[in-house]
Amino acid sequence: MQPPSVPISSPPASPTRWFFRGMRGAWSAPGLVLLATFVGFGGLMHDVSFPIFAGLLSVLLIWALPAQVILIGGLGAGASLPALALAVCLSGARLMPMVVALMPLMRGARPRLWKELLCAHFVAVTMWAEGFRLLPGVAAEGRPAYACGLGAGLIALSMAGTAIGFYLSHTLPGPLAIALLLLTPISFTILLVRNARRTVDWLAIGLGAGISPLVANSPGGLDLFWAGVGGGTLAFLIARYGLRRRA
Amino acid sequence: MSLYSGELAATLIVIFIGFLPNEVWRVLGVLFGRRLDEDGLWMRWVQAVAAALLAAVVARLLLVPSGALVALPLWLRVGGVASGIAGFLLARRSVLAGVLTAEAVIILGAWWLGLG
Repeated sequence: MQPPSVPISSPPASPTRWFFRGMRGAWSAPGLVLLATFVGFGGLMHDVSFPIFAGLLSVLLIWALPAQVILIGGLGAGASLPALALAVCLSGARLMPMVVALMPLMRGARPRLWKELLCAHFVAVTMWAEGFRLLPGVAAEGRPAYACGLGAGLIALSMAGTAIGFYLSHTLPGPLAIALLLLTPISFTILLVRNARRTVDWLAIGLGAGISPLVANSPGGLDLFWAGVGGGTLAFLIARYGLRRRA
Repeated sequence: MSLYSGELAATLIVIFIGFLPNEVWRVLGVLFGRRLDEDGLWMRWVQAVAAALLAAVVARLLLVPSGALVALPLWLRVGGVASGIAGFLLARRSVLAGVLTAEAVIILGAWWLGLG
């Protein structure tokens, strides 16, 4: 594993050098957990016969597993494209506060808009956690390059995991192939439970999961819209107005 | 077969249905980050919808599966995930312990039922 910080006394380095240091920083326990998670995503892709190149591109460009699973799972379930775009868009909102929180650490000594936009692309939950762990130990002038290297390293690990899962899913024996397909739903369920703190979170999980099978195959491919937007809005309204009236 | 099974169509879907709607938030974070109120009403609604969406996708995959998961009986799919939550809570909220518990239950169950 990478030591938690790069010594401040290290000699001045070029952006390329910082980039590769960042890439090395990605090779860590959270990076390997990420790889394993994307093995499950690769299996899921194969199961709905989503092509490999576009799937790998989705790791590089979308770089947010919930959005990718919504997209691939939704396509497999026959959702309509505009409804899927809306679902993906709503699921990405949590990225904005992460970008805001991490940007002061990635910006570096001489901020440039295009550099900030590039760094922001790499922000997702693992990058967010690892950035807070590693970036404070990086000299200010090297931070944008280091952040890009770290993000690129994490993406490379995830793409490797996706390709492994895609090709494993039809070579593994039955029980293991099924376990591989369930890796994503299992880890997302546990993460949802872990992140749920307030009543509104539990209501949103319960309503989203409860409505989803009821509206499966609803006309126009709008399942996700009703379960996600409907369930989430209902949870928001109940937590805000329903419980308060009783209290 | 389906509209996305060709590489070109799937690539366009990834860019226009996946990348652009998702990337908007990262760009907004850079441009308007300093004026963001994370506890504002609007953000709370978005967070509730995001959680419900994810729960809906997971429930859809588990309860109304379309691919190879159909072979696995419903009780084993749900039981596996429930055992994962139990493992997570019992092992002092360790995500890894939860995932491993659920995977073990599913592999043993599928093997016992003679699937595959």
